[in-house]
Amino acid sequence: MKRHPTTFLKEEYEELVSKDFDWKLRVLETGSTPHSVVDGKEVIMLCSNNYLNLSNHPRLIQEAMEAAKKYGAGSGSVRAIAGTMALHMEVEKRLARFKGTEAALIYQTGFAANTGLIPQLAGKGDVIISDELNHGSIIDGVRLTKTDRAIYKHRDMGELEKVLQDADKKYRRILIITDGVFSMDGDIAPMDEIVHLGNKYGAMTYVDDAHGEGVIGPDGRGIGAHFGIEGKIDVEMGTFSKAYGVVGGLIAGSQYLINFAYNKSRTWLLSGSHPPAVAAAQLAAIDVLETEPKHVKRLWDNTTYFKKELTSLGFDTGESETPITPVIVGESSKAKELSNRLFDEGVFALPIVFPMVARDKARIRTMMNAGLTNEDLDFTLDKFEKLGKALKII
Amino acid sequence: MTQAKIGFVVNPIAGMGGKVGLKGTDGVVQQAIELGAQPIAPQRAEETLREFLSYCKTPDKTSWFTCAGAMGSNELKKVGIRITEIIYTPKDKNTLSHDTKNACTKFLEKQVDLIFFCGGDGTARDIFEIIGSKTPMLGIPAGVKMHSGVFGITTSATAKMLHEFVNNTLTIGDAEIMDLDEDRYRRGEWNIRLFGIAKGIVEPTYIQVGKTMFESVSDEEIKDELTEHIVDEMEKHTDHLFLFGSGGTVDYIAKKIGFDTTLLGIDAVYQNKLVGKDLNENGILKLLKKYPQATVIVSPIGAQGFILGRGNLQLSPKVIKTIGVDNVIVVATPSKLAGTPVIRVDTGDKNLDRSFAEKEFILVVVGYRLSKVVKIQTNNF
Repeated sequence: MKRHPTTFLKEEYEELVSKDFDWKLRVLETGSTPHSVVDGKEVIMLCSNNYLNLSNHPRLIQEAMEAAKKYGAGSGSVRAIAGTMALHMEVEKRLARFKGTEAALIYQTGFAANTGLIPQLAGKGDVIISDELNHGSIIDGVRLTKTDRAIYKHRDMGELEKVLQDADKKYRRILIITDGVFSMDGDIAPMDEIVHLGNKYGAMTYVDDAHGEGVIGPDGRGIGAHFGIEGKIDVEMGTFSKAYGVVGGLIAGSQYLINFAYNKSRTWLLSGSHPPAVAAAQLAAIDVLETEPKHVKRLWDNTTYFKKELTSLGFDTGESETPITPVIVGESSKAKELSNRLFDEGVFALPIVFPMVARDKARIRTMMNAGLTNEDLDFTLDKFEKLGKALKII
Repeated sequence: MTQAKIGFVVNPIAGMGGKVGLKGTDGVVQQAIELGAQPIAPQRAEETLREFLSYCKTPDKTSWFTCAGAMGSNELKKVGIRITEIIYTPKDKNTLSHDTKNACTKFLEKQVDLIFFCGGDGTARDIFEIIGSKTPMLGIPAGVKMHSGVFGITTSATAKMLHEFVNNTLTIGDAEIMDLDEDRYRRGEWNIRLFGIAKGIVEPTYIQVGKTMFESVSDEEIKDELTEHIVDEMEKHTDHLFLFGSGGTVDYIAKKIGFDTTLLGIDAVYQNKLVGKDLNENGILKLLKKYPQATVIVSPIGAQGFILGRGNLQLSPKVIKTIGVDNVIVVATPSKLAGTPVIRVDTGDKNLDRSFAEKEFILVVVGYRLSKVVKIQTNNF
């Protein structure tokens, strides 16, 4: 049969465009700053994960520049062969100390951590028990396994225990996986209860704390510290790309976990290690978190004020407990319209629509930033009020 | 669907038996009227249509085919919907089941996209007898009994579903047509029968393909995954007798594996051979004596999500006790589960119902090696 080898590229792309499902990339002409220039327009940035504005912190920039000068632009190899520098080892040591665990390991990205490690933790004859709202990278990690999978209702510990009771009789290993902070609603997994249930049934616990690292817990030490259970979660996974302001995935836990993980995770073994500038910036981010508590404090002050004012204006902000504040508006078309009009008015916030969330729960997702001033927040709230009234949301 | 074609029919006498304690209106409409029953279907239909219109931002572009008078045109006119064509006029003021059937024959000729009706299980059955699984149907609940899976939960939910359907955001899936045998019921016997598998409208199943992008997956793909799961189970338990329950999902699985099973009955397979077809309770018990280890595969049936006690009475308490509650595998497509968020059990045996109630939740298989926790509800606990 004579077939055209690449026609599908064009056809499938055009189909995405016709359904309006393609990504229209917004281009930043500045850094990811609280006031960014996006597609030529200055906007208040409420879409970035740069919660603490550390990507612009002078110390991170300085350390990155110096490391590049001293050690070069790239690392030259994968970690396993010749790409492990003293700098990488230092980051891991400091990270473990910061998180109160025995050891830590840096992956190239958060996605690489989940898709590299999860398939090694469970296999045939095992079961992975997962919250229904877990992030796509967990789902992909789980898809790469040969395990059975059971899904429990979002944060429902009664359902989780029922699955554990059932699984206890049938499986070799049990792995409970959850997001720490859920990225659509900004609520937090009851990690203390999950660890308790894990202990009760001999199940391993794994948390993806991407949105909690640098945000929740004292000094932003993450979900373990938030619940006072440092070192008790079997796998604390996170990222340097959000509040830490750099890039890279991480896991923290026992020394055996780390030894196991770097010997078995294919994403870790088969990708080049971070350039020295990245590792140095990661290290500086940990330094800043340990020595400058003002950033985390400012993030939470901004969050509390913004949520309170949105609620008093009459907006529904859902169940959020973190700097991710959804502004629930109802129908998908309304969320899209609000997002577009906010952009025109100088506020950049992403609409989240069906089927990412229920049909009647479409929303604007806002992510707070410690670099925003009181004036910035009042400006933003003013725009929300004006457009919320115009669109009959409030 | 830029311009949906809808066939709209109201069974004006639906539900009249209920208020006067007749458990149905089939064949007893005169008696119901004499007992003072008032029509309820026209009002329900009107409410639903009004709510549907309130969702339409632009003028409704749907083409409406309907019947004269109380069978549809009155309600449409009252709410101000323009009728495309009246395709049937009943001869008598007191309409009967053949009037619904005649209207459906005409709807088929007009090639409507959906039959939108107002009535109960009896009406659904009449429609199904004519259209089979050719055209999807959606019912406004107005009957005495509504066990079939083609009804919206409330008039309001039905209006929303219709709106989503004409906007092309819902898809077509299996829906069971169930009905109580009314003659037997009036004699004190409870027997909900499964009459057939119609097409209803359901929420599509989505999978995430990009960060914020989802694609809907066809029912067939999901059922193929369920089939793989069951094949694995059969390979794991080669000493088990496998009983395939009634309904579209289980029948699809069995046929995909290669067994010539019945859609509405219970069939048995042992070591890859069909050893029993359309079995009654005794037939199943006889097989269970020969093959004491067994697994039964069931799927939620009808609007309320029953896995036992509706439409499959052959799976009697005695049968389930012999097999063991833990050997019941429940399968369902996520679309089906979206419409039946609770799994119900009503075996007629209190002790057996209790052993299900004590589980509180059941793991429903929704994909290959993938299960979801769903609450169990029983009538007595």
